[in-house]
Amino acid sequence: MGLIRLPLRLLSKLNSFLLTIGSVIATLALAFMVAFVIYQIVMRYAFNTAPAWTEEGARFLMLWMTGLVAPLGYRKGGFVAIDLVQTALPRLLSAILSLILLALAMLTLIYAFIIGWSEITGFAGRFATASIYFPWPGAEGLEWIRAPRSYMMASLVVGSVLMISVNIELILRVLAGEGLPSETSVLLDKSKQPVMEGE
Amino acid sequence: MLWMFPFFLLAILVGLPIFFALLVAPGIFLVITDAGSATTLWRNVYNGIGDSFILIAIPFFLLAGEIMNRGGITLRIVDFAQALVGHVRGGLAHVNVTSSIFFAGMSGSAVADTSALGTMLIPEMERNGYSRKFAAAITGASSVIGPIIPPSGILVIYAYVIEGVSIRDLFLAGIAPGILIGLSLMAVTAIFADKFKLPPAKRVEFEHRTLPIHEDILARILARIDMAILLYMFASGYFFVAGLGQEDATQINDIFAPLLAAVAGADGEAPIAIAALIYALPFFAVGELLFMFFRRRMSEERRIIFKRAVLPLQTPLVILSGILFGVVTPTEAAALAVAYALFISLFVLRSMKMSDLPGVFSRAALSSAIVLLLVGAAVAFKTAVAIAQAPDIAAEFVLGLSQNPLILLFLINILLFVVGMFLDVAPAIFILGPILAPIFIGFGVDPVHFAIIMCVNLTVGLATPPMGLVLFMAAAVSGERVETISKAILPFLAVEFIAILVITFVPAISLFIPNLINQVL
Repeated sequence: MGLIRLPLRLLSKLNSFLLTIGSVIATLALAFMVAFVIYQIVMRYAFNTAPAWTEEGARFLMLWMTGLVAPLGYRKGGFVAIDLVQTALPRLLSAILSLILLALAMLTLIYAFIIGWSEITGFAGRFATASIYFPWPGAEGLEWIRAPRSYMMASLVVGSVLMISVNIELILRVLAGEGLPSETSVLLDKSKQPVMEGE
Repeated sequence: MLWMFPFFLLAILVGLPIFFALLVAPGIFLVITDAGSATTLWRNVYNGIGDSFILIAIPFFLLAGEIMNRGGITLRIVDFAQALVGHVRGGLAHVNVTSSIFFAGMSGSAVADTSALGTMLIPEMERNGYSRKFAAAITGASSVIGPIIPPSGILVIYAYVIEGVSIRDLFLAGIAPGILIGLSLMAVTAIFADKFKLPPAKRVEFEHRTLPIHEDILARILARIDMAILLYMFASGYFFVAGLGQEDATQINDIFAPLLAAVAGADGEAPIAIAALIYALPFFAVGELLFMFFRRRMSEERRIIFKRAVLPLQTPLVILSGILFGVVTPTEAAALAVAYALFISLFVLRSMKMSDLPGVFSRAALSSAIVLLLVGAAVAFKTAVAIAQAPDIAAEFVLGLSQNPLILLFLINILLFVVGMFLDVAPAIFILGPILAPIFIGFGVDPVHFAIIMCVNLTVGLATPPMGLVLFMAAAVSGERVETISKAILPFLAVEFIAILVITFVPAISLFIPNLINQVL
């Protein structure tokens, strides 16, 4: 058992660390998405100009938000599944079924990573985004260049790497005889209500 | 080729998360049949999430709901519902449903409604002599109104999947069916009060509720503006329903002519803002009279409760009027709703602190990421479905069953109800929407009406076992077992199914509001 427990503990720590960072970035991304869209409205009505980058920028952030925080959702059991069969089966069979399902998930994720990687390094990734500019050191100091689409696509690739890591953790948890998180855990997390009135 | 579907269903039933099932099934299908490569799937997931500005509305609506939830707004809404219906027998049950209706106007998610209202109302109901399972059941059953009344993440997704229906029309069409479901739940509660062993009616007492002066003033102003807009809507609705035409409009204009002439500038035209004000004057006047009328019939305590509800209840108005008048896109309206919710809970109600913000934003980011990933996977699945020519095969099959659209609609109701038991709403819309919508639109069913049939049906599925997120949430907040709630919720599900049939076979329920407003505006 120690053979599984130790890597499980280490991986669990690593995942907690990575996913905390991911969650912080995703939170900021959401805040900036709101800001971009509000800015777009203000510019349109107050200054009669429609900035080109707000919409694509918000989509850029949304992709990164998804890629960075969805793995946390997976870890907390937020990916809804029907657990009727698993709870009905005896323990050993249930664990075997869990492992088969996790293996299927793993296969999907690895595929997603391989395809995603070839996409960002390939043809499609080299196209530039329409309106997102990044400062880049050029011949005469910093120049604003258009970001390639791969910067956007990378969000899902990073997401699949994080999810692979979570998936390995989940497999180890089953092997160590621990239960998997159920969807109620992520729901309950949301239901932590504050005190009712602040007035 | 169609084995993809049984495989998909089997994978879900044995417990594979829907996200993976949506990718594994078509992935294997594409590789085996050589109909395409898995790269197509990846591109669809990516484009599905990142290629649309409309989808950004989903995280925004979730965020606005989360802020409202946090910002002490739930209590105000519940108070307001208490003041309206709290005094009848089974008062708190009616309060629960009424609050769900109001809450639906602020958040687009049933699970969030169950969590917000359940945490507050289930313990309160237990204290007042309701059984816990009844309290949990009515909370769950009524929270499905959340995604039907706008704003609604589900309707946004539907408009994203099915081309040719606008979010604006869908939002308008959802209002009446949502209220209908609420009313039918209240009717069941009232009729079977004895059977549910509901406690007798009692006077509603509010513990000391206060209203700071700045909010008082703001609430008074906003309430008057709302009333004027409402009266304007009624007046213009009447104008069209009564079939009045251009001549009558000229007559009405004549009444205002002297006033307009009085303020006219050198060019003989009144400045537009002042002209608008003059036209608005009668509505404000009638509104003021109505306020005076109700004011005398209401205790001081109740007036405060009403005023406290004014600011929170502006959220649905901000969203709807923004979209209705074409001032902003749905996504922008959602962002405005977030900004408004932040503004009032931070600065006016002061029920939220800056330090609460990270938590609120990160929870909203987490739940939207899960939904968005599901949307991406569903887009990929939809592509594979199209490659498998499933829509044609399904259409042939459906048309083979019957040629009578009424019978088919009934069958579809049952199908969607069953699908709703197992699938979450978003994937179900992606999988079945592109297959079913063209068939029924071909039969002459209005696209907007069909959207509502589908969404209401699938949403009610959120409260049905074995996979009802709302049930899980109700169990989580009440501490009652899912199985017990599943039994207690049956009478409500039955009446919701009847309401679905009524919504299906009486198109006017969904369509009269959008039709009327599209004529007026």
